Amino acid sequence: MQSFEFVRAQDASAAVAASARSNTAQQGASVRFVAGGTTLLDLMKLNVERPLQVVDINRLPLDKIEPLPDGGLKIGATVRNSDLAQDPVVRRDYAVLSQALLAGASAQLRNMATTGGNLLQRTRCMYFRDTSMPSNKR
Amino acid sequence: MKKSTESPEPASREPRLSRRAFLASAGTVGVATVISPNNLMAQPMNQAAASASTAGAEGAVPLTLRINGNEHRLRLDPRTTLLDCLRENVVLTGTKKGCDHGQCGACTVHVNGRRVNSCLSLAVMHAGDEITTIEGIGQPGALHPMQSAFVAHDAYQCGYCTCGQIMSAVALLKEPWGPKDDDVREAMSGNICRCGAYPNIVAAIQQVRGKS
Repeated sequence: MQSFEFVRAQDASAAVAASARSNTAQQGASVRFVAGGTTLLDLMKLNVERPLQVVDINRLPLDKIEPLPDGGLKIGATVRNSDLAQDPVVRRDYAVLSQALLAGASAQLRNMATTGGNLLQRTRCMYFRDTSMPSNKR
Repeated sequence: MKKSTESPEPASREPRLSRRAFLASAGTVGVATVISPNNLMAQPMNQAAASASTAGAEGAVPLTLRINGNEHRLRLDPRTTLLDCLRENVVLTGTKKGCDHGQCGACTVHVNGRRVNSCLSLAVMHAGDEITTIEGIGQPGALHPMQSAFVAHDAYQCGYCTCGQIMSAVALLKEPWGPKDDDVREAMSGNICRCGAYPNIVAAIQQVRGKS
């Protein structure tokens, strides 16, 4: 794993500002957010992800699941998969989402993995994960 | 930091030498005899030892972790996973490294009461968290009911996955799973046992849940 600077984001705007200085994922993102770490650490151990700075967003107040007036649901970036799957509103109104979450990974990983991390998750392709193989996505 | 490197070992309470202490000393003697006539081999082994134990002075950050109710003041390379920190820096070797990629569950510990894969988490992310390892849930002579049930049901063969299995099983008791054996199998699917002790593991867990 390549060395990196570890910083804990004090607020969302500081985290966004740190990320804005980064190049893109396709260029090998130099700044990465970490919440659960289940994908990021996995890929960093393989030297697929080699950020120079890792920004911990776990202490930000982004772990809320809030119903919206229009009937929608606002899910915070650091809501854990297990909490989202077991949320009473999600189970009642978004049963497929709950079932899909519970069908993925393991209980341990679901306790770590977050909604934001799911959206940022990179491909599971074996060529992508193997740095000795060419991959135009890495 | 390291009050007693052998404190979590049951054997340390007894006058006889522990298995870990014996292997560690035998390993040192073995390495010394191999490398003493040949300095070329000594170099990479020393480098490997240094990177594993001291975690590199450059870029190390101070960190206090609360593990099994005790505060541990550490200086760690930010790359150190929670698993490596527990095993190499705090010397709580009950937590095992299996795949190191979150697939096998041997490294399962509790963070704030929830089970996680310690191999996919950085130690520096856990300042302020309450970390519990297998050493924190029971002791020789005062086993956790789940530990006793694993013994009673012979829920292991080689034992390498057992600490992770038990940590997962203890966490499972507080999670919303159904009563059936199949529910336990699904709940425990993040813990792989290469010996195939699964039927006995399920029986042990169901006994503790009162579902057997």
